[in-house]
Order: sequence, then C-alpha cells, then structure tokens
Amino acid sequence: MSDKNPEKGEVSRRDFLGLAAIGTAVLSALGVLAGVLRIFKPDVHFEESKKFKIGKPEQFPVGTVKKFDDKKLFVFSDEDGFYAITAVCQHLGCIVYKTDWGFQCPCHGSKYDQMGNVIGGPAPRGLPWFKIEQLVDGSLVVDASKEVPKGTKYIYV
Amino acid sequence: MGEVNQSGIAKFLNNIRSLKKSFLGSFLRSGKPTSDKSRAAVMFNNFFLHIQGVKTHINTLRPTYTFGFGLISLYLLIIVVISGVLLMVYYNPSVTEAYNKIKDLKYVVFGGNLLRNIHKWSGEGMIIFVLLHMARVFYTGSYKKGREFNWVIGIVLLILMFGMNLSGYMLPWDQLAYWALLIVANIINSPKEITDSLGITQYFDIGGFFKELFLGGTNPTQESLTRVYLLHIWLLPMFLFLFLGIHFWRIRKDGGLTRPDTFERKDSDVYYVNPPEKTGGIFPTYKTYGLMELARGRTPAVDKDVENTVLSWPNLLIAELAIFVLTLAGVIAYAYFVDAPFKEPANPLIPENPAKAPWYFLGLQELLSYSAFMGGVGLPGLALLGLALIPYLDREEDRVGIWFTNRQGVTVALQSFIIGTIVVIGILAFVVNFGWFRNWWPNVPQILITLINPGNIWVGFMIVYSLFVIKKTGSTRMGAIALFTMFLVSYVIFTAMGTYFRGPNWDFFWSKSQWPIH
Amino acid sequence: MYSRFYLSVLLISGLVLITFLVFATYRELNPEWKKYQLEYRDLLIKNAPNEAARKKARSIKIEHQQIYIKPLKKVDRCMNCHRGVDDPLMKDAKVPHKLHSGDYLKKHPVSKFGCTLCHYGQGRATNKKDAHGKGRDTHWDYPLIPFKYIQSSCAKCHDYLFLKDNGGEMVVEGERLFREKGCRGCHKLNGVGGDLGKPLDIIGSQPIAYFPMKYVVGERNTYNWLKQHFLDPRKIVPGSEMRVFLSEKEADLLTTYTLTLRAEEMPRQFRAIRYTTPVPKDGESLYKMYCVACHGNGKISAYDEILKRTIPAIMNPAFLKIADDKNLERIIKEGRKGTPMTSWKRTAAGLRDEEIRNIIKFITKDRPDERPEPFDYKRFVTDTKHGKELFNVRCALCHGKDGKGGKDHLGLNLRNPAVQKFVDPEFLAMTIRDGRKGTPMPAFGKTGVGLSDQDIADLVAYIRSFSDKGKK
Repeated sequence: MSDKNPEKGEVSRRDFLGLAAIGTAVLSALGVLAGVLRIFKPDVHFEESKKFKIGKPEQFPVGTVKKFDDKKLFVFSDEDGFYAITAVCQHLGCIVYKTDWGFQCPCHGSKYDQMGNVIGGPAPRGLPWFKIEQLVDGSLVVDASKEVPKGTKYIYV
Repeated sequence: MGEVNQSGIAKFLNNIRSLKKSFLGSFLRSGKPTSDKSRAAVMFNNFFLHIQGVKTHINTLRPTYTFGFGLISLYLLIIVVISGVLLMVYYNPSVTEAYNKIKDLKYVVFGGNLLRNIHKWSGEGMIIFVLLHMARVFYTGSYKKGREFNWVIGIVLLILMFGMNLSGYMLPWDQLAYWALLIVANIINSPKEITDSLGITQYFDIGGFFKELFLGGTNPTQESLTRVYLLHIWLLPMFLFLFLGIHFWRIRKDGGLTRPDTFERKDSDVYYVNPPEKTGGIFPTYKTYGLMELARGRTPAVDKDVENTVLSWPNLLIAELAIFVLTLAGVIAYAYFVDAPFKEPANPLIPENPAKAPWYFLGLQELLSYSAFMGGVGLPGLALLGLALIPYLDREEDRVGIWFTNRQGVTVALQSFIIGTIVVIGILAFVVNFGWFRNWWPNVPQILITLINPGNIWVGFMIVYSLFVIKKTGSTRMGAIALFTMFLVSYVIFTAMGTYFRGPNWDFFWSKSQWPIH
Repeated sequence: MYSRFYLSVLLISGLVLITFLVFATYRELNPEWKKYQLEYRDLLIKNAPNEAARKKARSIKIEHQQIYIKPLKKVDRCMNCHRGVDDPLMKDAKVPHKLHSGDYLKKHPVSKFGCTLCHYGQGRATNKKDAHGKGRDTHWDYPLIPFKYIQSSCAKCHDYLFLKDNGGEMVVEGERLFREKGCRGCHKLNGVGGDLGKPLDIIGSQPIAYFPMKYVVGERNTYNWLKQHFLDPRKIVPGSEMRVFLSEKEADLLTTYTLTLRAEEMPRQFRAIRYTTPVPKDGESLYKMYCVACHGNGKISAYDEILKRTIPAIMNPAFLKIADDKNLERIIKEGRKGTPMTSWKRTAAGLRDEEIRNIIKFITKDRPDERPEPFDYKRFVTDTKHGKELFNVRCALCHGKDGKGGKDHLGLNLRNPAVQKFVDPEFLAMTIRDGRKGTPMPAFGKTGVGLSDQDIADLVAYIRSFSDKGKK
C-alpha cells in the first residue's frame, strides 16, 4: 500500500517500475515487429534498370518525337522543352502506338490523348510522364522510376 | 495386493502380459462407449472431441436447419490442406520450373491429375459453401445472442479464404496465373487513382507501396512467385487455422448452434437422432466440474433446454462422419470428371484478351471496369465492413433460430431479391448500351468518375432501400434481410456478368461464340 | 437404430466414394500408353527368332520411358508409346512401333537428343493428343512439325555447307530464296533491314498467340500461318503491303527456312557448325536481299496495287543518265519519308557505306555512257509565277494541282521532303527536259513537247518553292 495519491498525479516507485518495464517490453515488441515488416520491402528489384541514357539534346530537334522500343518510351521535343511519356499502356502493359490524336493501344483498345490522358478503353489511368535529367557530359537521361505531373517539360542545352 | 513376496522378474513378465490392456487403457480412458455415461465421458475426455459439447441439441441435427454448410466448408478445408501438402511434394515455386512440375503431376505422378483436381475443386468449392454457410447463419439470425463476435471472426475467415484461393491460382505460372497476378497487383495499386486525383502520389504513393511489397518489385517476377507461395502455404494458412480455432471455441462457448425458443420435437426427428436412455439430462448425475461465478457476464450456455438435447456420441459424430464422406465423395466425383484448367506458359509479352481474374473475383472485375479504386478497394472494403457490422446494427433478439424469422421476413427477402435483380440488371444494361461519363464527356476529371459510378450507385441504392425497409417495417432485422439479400443477388449477377458476358477489351457479348478471333 | 438418415447418407456416400476410387485407380493403372507397350511386347514375342529372345521379350517391363537431356533441360516421354523407335526389329512394324526412318538415330541417338528437339510436340505429355499438341485445347505452342518442314531442325546444329549435300537441301534452298526475294527490304534480321514489317529474328519460335490467326485455314499453328501468309499476305493480314509472289513449293521452302529463326540457342556440345555462311558483299546479291521486293528489275515504273503508289524505276537508263551517284547515295541513305522507301544508312536500316556503294555500282551498271546535256540552272533568272502557270497546264494533270502527286499517285509527289531536300535543281531540270523513258514522264524539252530552257527553269523554280529549302 503506497501513500501516493493517484489523483494528484503522484506515482509510486513500484507502479513506475511496473509501467517502465511494461513500456520497455511493448517498445521492444514494436521494434521487432517493425523489423519483421521491413523485411518485406525489397531493396533491389530483379528487373532491368529504369534509368536510360537517350542521347544529347542536339539529337532531338524541336518538333520531333523518338520512340525507344526496347525502353518502352517516347521522347518529345518542342518549343517548351523535352518530355518523356511511357509507351506502356496502363491497362495491362502492352506497347502503345503513336497516332495523330494521341496514343492507341492494340491490345484492349485503350486510347490516350496527346498529353497521355485516358480518352477511351479500359485503362484505369493516363500514361505517366517521366523525369529527364542531364549528366555532366550533356547526355540526357530518362528516369522511368520517377513519375512527374503531366505537362512537365525540361529545358536542357 | 499382498504380492510383496513376488519376485521382480515375475512382476516384469506380468507387466508385459498385460501390455495391451494397460497401453490401451492409458489413452482410452473412458472405456467402450456402451452406456450413456461412457458415451458422455468419451466426448469429455478426448482432446479432439471435447471442443464439442457432451450433448447436442436436436435442432442442430436437423438437416434442413443448417444443411451442413458449415461442416462441408470445414471438410473442404481439410481436403484442400491434405491435397495441398501432397502437391508440395512435387511442386517447385520457380518461374522456370513450376509449369513443368504441374505438367509432370498431370502425366507421370500416380494420381497426380486427380490430386490436383481435388485440390482445385475443393478450394473453389469452399467459396460456394462458405458463402452458403454465411447465408444460413444470417437468415437464421444466428449472429445474435452472444454470437456477434463469432460472426466477425467468420468475416475474417471469409477474407482469408479468398486470399488462399487467389494465391493458389497464381502458382502454376501459366497465362491464367500470370495475368491474374498482374490484375491483382493493379487492384492493390488502385488507391493511386485517389492520390493521383489529389496530386499527392509523388509524396504518398500508398497504392504503389503495397504493390511493391506484394510483387517484390514493380513487375511480376520470380520474387512475386516466391512471395505468393509463402502466402499460400504458410502465412495465410497460419492465420486461417488460428481464427478457425477461435471460431470453434466461440461456437462452444456461445452454447452451440442457435435454436428457436419455440422449439418442439417432431416425429421426423427420429430419423436424425437417437435419444439417450434417460430423458431429462445427464448432467445432474455426471457433472464433475463446477462453474465458479466470480465475474459478471454470459456463462457458457450448456444447461439450456436440456430436454431437447441428445448425446453427441454417437448422434453428432455420425452426422459429422456422414457429411464428411458425402463431401469427400462429391469432391472426388467432380475431380474425376473435370480437369483443373491449365493454359500456355506465362508470357509477359502476350496479354490474354480478355485478361480475367478467377471467377469468384469477376464481379469485382466488373466493378473495377467502372473505377479502379472503387471496384478494387472501396466497394469491397465497404461490403466487408457492412457485413461485419450487421450483428451490431441489428440487435432484435426475437425468433432467433428460425429461417427468415417470420412471414414478413420471407416477403422482405423475396421482394429484395426481385427488386435487387431488376435494379442490377437495369444498371448493367444502361452501362452496356450508353456507357458512362467518359463516353459522353471525354475530359471529365477522374475524381468525378471515382465518386459517381455504377458500382457506387448500386451500393447507394442498397443502403437507401434497406433504410426504407427499416422505416416501413419498424424492424432492423427486416432491413438487414433486405440488405443481405441484395448483397447476395448482386454478387451473383455481377459475377455472372463478368464470367459470361464480357469478352475481349471487356466489351459486352451475348455469347462466347461471338468473340472476335485474333 | 441410430439416426437412420445420417446412416443412409453415410452408406450411399461411402459407396459412391469407393466406386470413384476404384474407377480412378483403374484409370491410373491403365494409361493410354500401356496399350501400346503391350502391343510392342507382343510383337517382339511373336517375331522372336529364338527361345532366348522370346524369354527376353517376355521379361520387358511396361513402364514410363522417360528421356532426360540435362544440358537442354528437356524431358521427352515419346517412347512411352513409340517404344520401338530405335529397335531394328521394328523396321516393318506399323506406327507407333515403327523404327525411325533413315539412319538418323545412328548419329543422333535418342538417349542423347530425345525426340522433340527435332520433331517438336509436347515431350512431357503421355497421351497422343497432348503429346502431339494438335488443337488449341492442348495449349501447346509447338505441335508436331509437318514432315515437309523437318529440315528446319537440322539447321539448329548444322551449317548450310554441310546440309547442302547431307539431307538439308530444302532448308538450304529456303535460305537462298530468302536472300534473293528481297525479304530484308522490309524485315530486319540481326538488326539489318527495313522497318515496314516485323523483325524476323525469332519468328520461328514465337507462341501461337503472337500471330493473327483469324483467317488461317485449317489448324491454327505457326506452320500453317507462315505458309499461308507467304502465299497470300493480304488474306492473312488484311492491309498488308508485303510484295511477294511465290509458288506453293517456294512457300514451303521459305517456311522451312523461317522456322530456323528461333530464340533458343543450342549449347556448345550440340552444335556441329564448322562453317558460317559468309554474308554476300557484291552489289547484285545485296540488291536481291534488300531492294528486289519493291523495285523488281527496276526497269519499269508503274502503279502498284499493293503499295497503292508508283514505284520508281531505279534501273531505268533515262533515270540513270541524269541521276549521279551522289544523288543516289543520298536517296538510299536517307530514304523517302512518307513512302515505303526506308532510310538504309548504318544508323537506320543498318547497311554499311561499302554495301550501299556496291548496290549503287550494280544499279548503275547499265548507265548509258553518254553524259546528259548539262543544264546550267544558275544562269537563269527565274519567274516563279510563270512557272506556276506552266505547271498548272503541263504538270498538274499527273502531279496534282498542288504537286502532291496525281490521282492514284500517277505522278510522283513533288512536295516530298526528300525530293525538296536532296534533289539538285539541275536534276529536276534535266528530268523535265529529257523525260524518263520507260515511265509515263514525257520529255518536255526540245526533244518532246518543246518547252524552252527558260520555261523549264521557271518550272523548276516553282517546284522548289514548295519548300523553304528549295528557295535557297
């Protein structure tokens, strides 16, 4: 029996030790749980690299578009800069064709406008745009792991 | 007894002579169940059997009360687990080997084809019977009177069971498996629809996060197969058995299956049970434990309505054995004639068109075609939450244990069935003929479609109609009947739609023969 | 006694269960192949020359005959039914017991090579339908290969020099046809070739779902697709611009060849290649490989129904007289955007400079010795307006009012960026003046219609005004 009064916020040493012990146990359990859950997140992907060198800015004159079949992406160049749009249909991963009005997927009929927004077919979302960086030697690199908002264009010389 | 002078060797030889008796007696402690006392004792003393009560109510044993759906589900689980373990002897979760090993099972393993069929059909049969069991429990109002939590456990088991079926479907790594895996991964990714609309995906990509955990990357690879295999043979079964144990424990502690307060014996009962020698209960004479009441709360309802109970040995056990053999016979007969599907090896470059999820998820895939998030996460989540809340939103306790509760219940169920069918088919017909927002206004923002789409409209209607029924009948039970009936009806119709009437590009076709050939 | 109902259920279910278990056991113990092995054993016993052989034949065990080829990770169970395939005693038996034809098994023993390596089919299957892979319900992409195409398998390990004299005449002939029919004019192989058709590197081993099978007659598999597509590309692929005119025999030979283009590579110990066929470097071979499919012998320029345009006559002497090598090289290297003429340079379709030069040498071999009369365009002061009037009267009928080309492309598109960018005004002027014999383009100069040099210069100025570059 302690003479501490809980209503006054006073805690006996015994209660405090008890709480501290339980607290430690809970904290360590949470720590272990966090560690266990962290195991599930993969740190490397056994897939091909998502950063590709596409060439120097001079190779993309204003008003042109290049399709990289093996990298599954389109690189555009217009007055506002360079931009990269994926050629992978967001429905089930087929490669889309470029048309006058946008992009067309041959597999299930998904249609996208020139910005990559879905205008028809079963695609659940529009075509992602990717980040474009420039290396020290001037080469442009598309980073397909970094999605940027539609309309993001990059100016590099 | 006074054998102090017997030699040690004689003692030893005596022990050997009575080995059989002493061994058998050491673990069969109750003796042969030839009297009511010993029949009671065998239930009570046995590790496996004592989860069930010594006595069982006659109502439980009437086939037209439960139709054995719960038992059949359990037996299908046992069959699927045993057949699954046997399959593990030959299966290899490697993207290059899995397909070939299953072909080997089909062609060179003795009974391999039958075994695989048994595993597949008992696994998928579980879906049907678990849903039937859930319907039985619902319509007899057996989620009340202390059984509320067990209903929630049941919902958890439902989710785990779907997870088992889904993860198993992906293991053969054929075209069906691969594209189903991709569809499920995209369903998991569907919260991206919301984060995209809010523009926060760059900072908080919850959909992409879980998709990466599930696939072990961004595309289906060996990593994905390894993880799905882990889920299928260990993680999910572990939780399944844990919750199953809780589920049975609760049945016992909640007093066994429900029965109506107005229960009366019928002449036909004599076909199902054999009453004990003494009527009026055994317990007063043979009870060997006492219940100390130290805490308030419900006690195990073991003594109620004792006059209408019969001994579990043999009545309950013979019923359980009969249903088991019936289930096993049904599974083996079906597995004998129908082969589990198995298509070309998985090819990431050639999508199936249409790429369809397993049949039990095709209703979901139909909803998915309206909105990825709503069909994949939103509506199923809402449905499961709604199901789990039923025992807490309907707490009327009269006439528990009676199918449809009363005449009004039958009427409400019938009306809901008809109205639900008409409305669902109406919605589907509208969508097929006129399309939806994006067909009329190509630039409509996605968030509008997420919020207002045929799936949401149907769920909204269900809720509004149930509230209307509650108001009109003044009973939450009637409202629950309306809601549940509509849920069942829509699950079946949406599944049928996705199965039979959706072809390439998820376009509508009246029959498969009309599908354009590639 | 006890619950009658449940006992009845138990009894009936039990009987049903036992019945099916019995049926299933019987089915497992009597697979389809057992029958064939019993037949085989009986044949051996019947035809045994002596008692010892008969005794040996009787002791044959009826069991799985699996062949496992480790370096290829292949599993072949064909011998479950074809147990006599390497038994000389089965020379005159009927299939499936018959001995393998020829002496192929001497150099290719079944234990080392299996069967599906050459014959395809589903090696892991143990019943006829699934093993042969016929029918889409077997879900097997590589059914048994029709006998007429079997030589394509030889090319997996053997080189063409060897095959020419050792039982591979068909695949060698198929390869020659492929080289001489200009297939690579539109299809890439090893990165070299045109872009109008799909690359052919692994066409032979593509799964059946890769091909559009809607219009294929008969079985829907790769073999039928290839052959029927060779015979009539537009029937199998509506809208196809593939220009090929083959006899049935040639289609079969080409099918044999294309089936050798596969993804899988044989491991070192299987390859018996001592000689790699050299890539031809001479202009005539190169012309056949890349140009002949569209340009034919290059002498006549006419409207083509398949490509729906006029194909220029590039070996036309009148054309060659005016076109100099520099111009030709430019056209070949850059191609003509907007037409089926591909850009052939190294970084595009993949031809080396030396190869292009050789092709030009071949094309121009019949160039007339006499040089054309030069046209000194620079000394004229041109009147574009007058040129326009002349154009509308003289040229618009064939070349269209806007110069984009006549109806059905009778006259070439003069607004084509390639024409505007790469063609010298002198070339244009000489063509207008002298015409192009062998094509519908008449001579408008003094040898023909009678336009003066000034008129022609004005016309050229007008034509070049179609683009900014032309104004230079």
